[in-house]
Parts: sequence; structure tokens; C-alpha cells
Amino acid sequence: MLGIFVALSIAILTAYFGESGGGVFHTLQRGAQEAFAPVESGASRALKPVRDFFGWAGDTIDAKDQNEALKKEVQQLRSDLAEAQTAVRDSGQLKQIAELHEQDYFPQATRPVTARVIAKSPTVWHSSVKIDKGTGDGVRVDQPVVAAGGLVGKVTTATGGTAEVRLITDGESGVSAQVFPAGVSGVVRPEVGDPDDLLLENVESDRRVTENTLVITSGFTSSRLESLFPRGIPIGRVSKVDFDELETYQRVHVKPFADIRRLDLVEVLTRRGVATEAASLAGGDG
Amino acid sequence: MILSPGAFVRVGLLLLLAVILQLSAFSQIGIAGGHADLVVLAVAAVAYYGGSVSGSAAGFAAGFLLDLLTGATMGASSLVLTAVGYGVGRYREVRDPSHGLLPIPVGAAATAAWVTAFAAVSLMLDIGARVSPLVLRDMVVTILLNALLAFPVFAGVRRLLRPSLARDPVEVRRRRQQPREAGPLGLRGLEI
Repeated sequence: MLGIFVALSIAILTAYFGESGGGVFHTLQRGAQEAFAPVESGASRALKPVRDFFGWAGDTIDAKDQNEALKKEVQQLRSDLAEAQTAVRDSGQLKQIAELHEQDYFPQATRPVTARVIAKSPTVWHSSVKIDKGTGDGVRVDQPVVAAGGLVGKVTTATGGTAEVRLITDGESGVSAQVFPAGVSGVVRPEVGDPDDLLLENVESDRRVTENTLVITSGFTSSRLESLFPRGIPIGRVSKVDFDELETYQRVHVKPFADIRRLDLVEVLTRRGVATEAASLAGGDG
Repeated sequence: MILSPGAFVRVGLLLLLAVILQLSAFSQIGIAGGHADLVVLAVAAVAYYGGSVSGSAAGFAAGFLLDLLTGATMGASSLVLTAVGYGVGRYREVRDPSHGLLPIPVGAAATAAWVTAFAAVSLMLDIGARVSPLVLRDMVVTILLNALLAFPVFAGVRRLLRPSLARDPVEVRRRRQQPREAGPLGLRGLEI
């Protein structure tokens, strides 16, 4: 009996392959499919709830697996995104630092060492940061530190591989500065707790300072109080001037160029450098 | 199996129902990449209770129906299912198994034979493209799902075919399990 059915099957197979599209078996197939189409359609409709139930169960199981996979993917993408954003931000900051060197008043031959901020003081005073370069990289105490935009502080301690930078927003900070190009001099001191507002103090009232003018380091070299900073490092821009007729000095508010709250990359100027001609000519009282 | 007209009708309807259910529902319920295959289980069940002749005839008929309704290569499914039906039927005839859970391994083995042999026939006849190794996974899933379904399907088929069965394996098992009645006390030990 097996032989008969097997032979029959092989005969059908052979005939099916041998015939054209309009042959007996092809026609039979089409006829059967047409005849059973309503039955299949009805059965399919009737069994849809069953299929949906199993589909739901299967989808739930699949969704669980997909959920796990997607969670991993999201984590990976977040990590990639964070890396990319950090890279973009670093790139932007480095570009801004590079642009800083191109300013006509920025000191030349400062031999900058680029460093990454690895720690920040946990207080709200914005007093200091730690960088990942130290004496091994040529970093020494009292060297000025700049970031994208301008001056951020000076090195206060240095070890072999790290250094502590006191920010210009620290309460003990004082930077001799002048308004560029007018040449009005003063000392930039912080308004502690507000890193977006510095004060240019000791500005005589008879030398009027206007808003939006540039403030740079003055870099005194000849007086007893020799400035630690070379002449020409931008600090910020005058944002407001408090002028009192009775006061001898006027109080000038300066908005720093550097974003003290978000320091990632900085440059330590390991050489004092040479003031540019533009900076030297500014004001003439440097 | 007693080949009465009623038995023919019942088996014919059973196979038709199995094919339609397979095409309308089971093939569309994907579980872990595979799906249950009711047709091979129905053929295996008919063969298991009816023997090799009934099994091979049911296999041929089911395969023929399947090929007709799916538009697949005519003769391929019937060739493989004939062999599967015959194999299961012969196993039942030669071994005369009576264990209650036997439908599960029988269903799984029949499914394994069906998916493997059908894949081999398809490869020889139709498929010219590369075959993904995922096919193996789907085959395993189908075998496992059919193993789960085998028991209820075999039970249903047995119930359907019972009037036509010359020898029901379940009844045989029951009879074997019944304790032998001893004769009168005085004659015990004298039975020859």
C-alpha cells in the first residue's frame, strides 16, 4: 500500500512539474483554492480571536525580549550620545581657546598646556578646580589659566600630575586689569557666589568707563605689585557701571567671558609671554 | 481499522478540518518563530490508531489536500506525509505500544520526520536560494509545539475513530492493567 501511495505521489510530482500552467493539476489546484476560499475565509474570521490571543501572548513574550534589547540599546546610545556631546563641547571649547590666542591683544609665546578639569570645589563659591596637568607638564604655581573666552584663574598648587587652580571668582582672587582700549585700570575682584559678575574696583571716578567695553589683564611689570598675569588676557566685558558723585572710585561690573560654572578644558600659560603691540599701546599706562 | 464508509467520511472530514484549521489559524500563530502543525499530528494519530495502511492513505490524502489548497508543488506533501503515516502505523503494528503518554513522543517524532523530510524534498525540488540556519530553530519549535499538542489531538482523533477501530491501544492497555481474577481457592495453582 505504501508503494502505491508513494508511486502515486511521485507520479503527481512528475506530472505537476511536467505540465504547463494550464495543466490538470494546476487547474485542479486553482479550482480547489477557489472552492475552499470561502471556507478558509470563514474559518480565518471565526478563528481570529484565537489567533489574536496567541498573537498577544507571543507579542508579550517578544516585547519582553525586545524591551531588554532596547534597554541595552538605549543605554548604549545614551553613552554614545554623551561621548559625542562631550566631544562636541570639548571641540567647541578648544576652538574658542584657540580663537583666544588669535586676538590681537592676547600675549604671545605663552606656551599653553591644555588640561582637563578633573575636580571642582563642591561649594557654591566657585573657588577652585583641579586639573589633570602638573609639574610634569611644565605647570607651576602662579601661572595663569585661561578657558574658552578668557581668564579663569591661576595655579595655586601643583603636583606631578595635577594642579589646583584658584578661580577669579574665589573670594581671595584679585587681578589687575584695565579696560581695553581706553586703558582705565583697576583690580578685578569677584562678587562671591555669582560667577557671572565680577567687579572692577579702584577705578577712579574721573575716568569714565562705558558699558560693553573689553576688560583685559593689565600685566603690571614695573611696579612693586607685579601682576602674575601677562598683559592682554581677556577677562570679560563691562556690563554695568555704578557711578556715585560722592565716591572717589566708580564700581564697574564685568561679565566674565569664561563660563566658570562649566569648565571642562582649560589652558595653563606656562610662560609669561610677550604682550602684543596692540595691548601695549592700549591706554599707555600699563 | 475497519474500513467502513463511515470511517472514510470521518477520516476525510478530520483531515479536511485539520488542513483548514492549519491554514486559517495554526500557521498564523507564530510562537518563538515556529508554529504548530496540526496536519501531521492528525495523520500520525490516524496512523497510530488505524495502522500503516490507514496511516499512509491518510498521509497521502492530507498531503494532497494541503498541496491543493496552498498552491504548493503537488505531490511533495503527500509523498512525505504518506511515509510519515506509514512509519507511525508500522511502529504501532510492530511494537504494539500501549503507554498512555506515547502520543507525545510519537507526535514529536512524526513532526520531526515531516519537517525534515519536507525540507529535504523542498530543497531538492524548489529552493535555489540559500537557506537560513533559522529554519532549524523554527523546526525545533514546531516539533516542541506539536509535542505539546499531540496528546489532545491524539485523544480527539481516537474519540472520532473509536467506532471504526478494530483494536484500540487504550483498551488494550486497560485490559493489561486489570488484575487477573484468580479461580476458586481450591483450584489455585492448578491452572495450566
